[in-house]
Amino acid sequence: MSLREKELMKNAPPCSSNSLSNYLWEDHPDEEKWADCVHCGMCLESCPTYLETGQEQHSPRGRVHLIKSVAEGKLEVNEQFMDPVFQCLDCRACTTACPADVDVGGLIEEARGQVRQAMPLKGVKRAVSSFFLKGIFPHQSRLQAAGGLLKFYQKSGIQKAVRSTGVLRIMPDHLVEMEAVMPEIHQSTHQKYKNVDIIPAKGNSKAQVAMLKGCIMDVMFSDINQSTINVLTHNGNDVVLPKNQTCCGALHIHAGDRETGKKLAKQNIEAFQDAEKVVVNAAGCGCALKEYPELFRHDPEWKAKAEVFSEKVEDISKYLYDTGYEKPQSAINKRITYHDACHLAHGQGVRHEPRQLLKDIPGVDYVEQPNADTCCGSAGIYNITNPEMASAVLERKMENVPSDVEMISMGNPGCMLQMAMGVQKYGRGGKVVHTVQLLDWAYQEDERKGVKDGVIVEKKESNNRP
Amino acid sequence: MVLLSRRKKATIDPDILALSKIVGTKSILHHKEDLLSYDCDGFTIHKAMPKAVIFPKNTEEVSAAVKYCASHNIPFLARGAGTGLSGGAIPLNNEVIISLVKMKNLLSVDYENRKAVVQPGFVNLKLTNSISHKGYYYAPDPSSQYVCTIGGNVAENAGGAHCLKYGVTTNHILGLEVVLPDGEVIEISPNGVLDTPGYDILGILTGSEGTLGIVTKITVRILKNPESKKTVLAYFDRVEDGSHAVSDIISAGIIPAALEMMDQTAIEGVEAGAFPVGHPPDIEALLLIEVDGITEGIAEQIEQILTVCENHHVRDVKVARDEEERGRWWANRKTGFGAMGAISPDYLVQDGVIPRSKLPEVLKEIRNISKEYNLRIANIFHAGDGNLHPLILFDSRIEGETEKALLAGTACLKACADAGGSITGEHGVGIEKKEEMRFIFSDEELEAQTSIRDVFNPHNLLNQGKLFPTPSRCMDIKKVVNETSLTKST
Repeated sequence: MSLREKELMKNAPPCSSNSLSNYLWEDHPDEEKWADCVHCGMCLESCPTYLETGQEQHSPRGRVHLIKSVAEGKLEVNEQFMDPVFQCLDCRACTTACPADVDVGGLIEEARGQVRQAMPLKGVKRAVSSFFLKGIFPHQSRLQAAGGLLKFYQKSGIQKAVRSTGVLRIMPDHLVEMEAVMPEIHQSTHQKYKNVDIIPAKGNSKAQVAMLKGCIMDVMFSDINQSTINVLTHNGNDVVLPKNQTCCGALHIHAGDRETGKKLAKQNIEAFQDAEKVVVNAAGCGCALKEYPELFRHDPEWKAKAEVFSEKVEDISKYLYDTGYEKPQSAINKRITYHDACHLAHGQGVRHEPRQLLKDIPGVDYVEQPNADTCCGSAGIYNITNPEMASAVLERKMENVPSDVEMISMGNPGCMLQMAMGVQKYGRGGKVVHTVQLLDWAYQEDERKGVKDGVIVEKKESNNRP
Repeated sequence: MVLLSRRKKATIDPDILALSKIVGTKSILHHKEDLLSYDCDGFTIHKAMPKAVIFPKNTEEVSAAVKYCASHNIPFLARGAGTGLSGGAIPLNNEVIISLVKMKNLLSVDYENRKAVVQPGFVNLKLTNSISHKGYYYAPDPSSQYVCTIGGNVAENAGGAHCLKYGVTTNHILGLEVVLPDGEVIEISPNGVLDTPGYDILGILTGSEGTLGIVTKITVRILKNPESKKTVLAYFDRVEDGSHAVSDIISAGIIPAALEMMDQTAIEGVEAGAFPVGHPPDIEALLLIEVDGITEGIAEQIEQILTVCENHHVRDVKVARDEEERGRWWANRKTGFGAMGAISPDYLVQDGVIPRSKLPEVLKEIRNISKEYNLRIANIFHAGDGNLHPLILFDSRIEGETEKALLAGTACLKACADAGGSITGEHGVGIEKKEEMRFIFSDEELEAQTSIRDVFNPHNLLNQGKLFPTPSRCMDIKKVVNETSLTKST
């Protein structure tokens, strides 16, 4: 037995009836998913990593071929196999391109689950990964504390000092770039609405919706959560923020930690049990919530619950579009383009709705960008784990952003950070905003002028103006 | 490609070392796991592992790599996007694969003289996308045009839906730069001037399936967009009615830009796939007909087509309302092969040509073959030029079914050949149909062709074992023995 095999056997379960050839652990990649792939190659040009490398093991059909080969016993779950499986951005562009709807993203996530069990992370990587994925994201109190620290970092003058003294120079480039575009930290909706059960609709209430606050969203981008609440209540929705909700688990599932993913999924399914509708403003989270049933392929009881739950999940732009929204009267006189977050366009098929929201704001000079639905390289925490590829993908993305736009609008926090880095690095495209923020700003202006439904409404504090 | 350099074991194979020196260590793959993705192309029935895959960046690197392989007796072949359907890029002999996808630039466009120069890895559709703002396009449009490379199109003499009116790849190639199998670089018609005197070398190379040389630069013809375009969709209850409508449209003197047909099983596939348009499930055939040209005259042609369809008991016929609808109809058709994955784990696509008038008979024969082998066969094809694509649906996990599918495919080709047609319209012979070459060529004719190959590729190191039947006769075997000893002595 080779050293490699010994290593593999060490991590293998003593006995498992759920293994499949060289996939030794349960929850192995789903045979039915690759059965649809006929190797036609129509996915090639949609794949950012194939475009970058030209190598087919870094293409969707190549990855599917490798994943299938492990099941056929031709390959082992080893480092060479891991590389293509983890270089994937999980952007799902191939799912859109595929004539047979092969769920490559699902296969990749399942394969990563096997890799992580075969070769658990070690040393620093393990410590960092488990610190964030297990220690921080799932715990609201710790997230809030981290948010507090960041806020302190920004407000106390430390940020200024750090930036001016050049301490950042000892950090890797991509982290320095990220630090530079870190948004200003505001009070989280978690804290703000701690003691509030229902945030009432302005005017007549027509529906009640539950909102996912998200983990990082509520710390780094709590102003977007606030905008989402404002836009929902402005359009006659009572908003509830179920107390026991947690991180969606997308980052864990992307990283191959399906067990934590399942735990978080169960917690959310229970937390949102009473909700009729679950509105999400982060494309990555929304997509993960919609795919919860996938996690419970082998657990009929939870699968059934997950199916009921995922039916209720809707992206904010689609929810507004489907249920009707008031067109603002106040103008935002800006030239704006829209970037499709992968998990919105490819993952949830939402493309038209956010564009329509933008076009309905008076004064917006909307410019479509070429290849708007190609990945920006953010891909969850991909830009931290695979900085070089992420930066190559970002460069390609920025080439398509029209140079004369004043704002780039989108529907995902990860993309916002990455695109902000792109704007700073390549000097194209101006300010990065979330689509609901624009709508919120216009509504706030309306409310200030008292034009809502022709009725004078109470003045509202307006903080996040463009 | 610093991006992928996480793990590289030191290698001791001298060939790998030498090739690495030519293309750079970041542009070569030689680990089993990396090579596995190259064990087949769009034809998945045969698989074989390459020795290595290299990614040259320019003609000089291609030439140097070829020289090395030739002088060390290492088999090699060229590969583009690997979407070929006959196995032309499968490394049957443990070849070094020379992937041309890194040579993917549009080198120049000359609108005045209506030509463009591209590198072989340039994607077909990108050419049209790059020149459409000036009102031009590149005509050959294989269904894989979203991803396939023009270099691969030259090798296979690719066709497509719109080749009925505009011709296949060979009608659009004006000049080539080629690395010959000994590494020498030659230019044929470098200025893209048509009709150079002497033998038609461009014609011989185009469609030679990568057996005569490796194309490294291509001058193609570009066309002005037609002034106007209309697309018709017609549903027929009986496949015979659809077939007769095809014949009558052509007999009426109309040359549509495209005239496509799908049968019931094919419709089931595309409707289950990613781009459904809502075709009724109970029709036996549909026709997708496109006419283009100057605006005057289009309406009249459409009228004629509608009349012909009505004469043949069409159930429903409509003209695309706008570009959006037309786009959806075409996306549905062009992704048809891949969509078969939605209704079958595997498929084998055949590519026969028949005289148009024999359409109803041959389709009937294909239905009999389907019954005989107990395999479903979908038909998606360029009806206008009699280019059939029977798609044999099977499940390779069931023992013996792959072999059965291959036999059914051969039977379909036999039916085409017997009807006075041919065994390939546009997908090439590759590995898939090399034995079937005997349906249409005698031994002498085949030998005449291999002797052309011998002029370019005398040691047969370039893409060996493709295009012609495997030597099985005494004479051929002797020849191979001679060749081998010859190569060894050089």
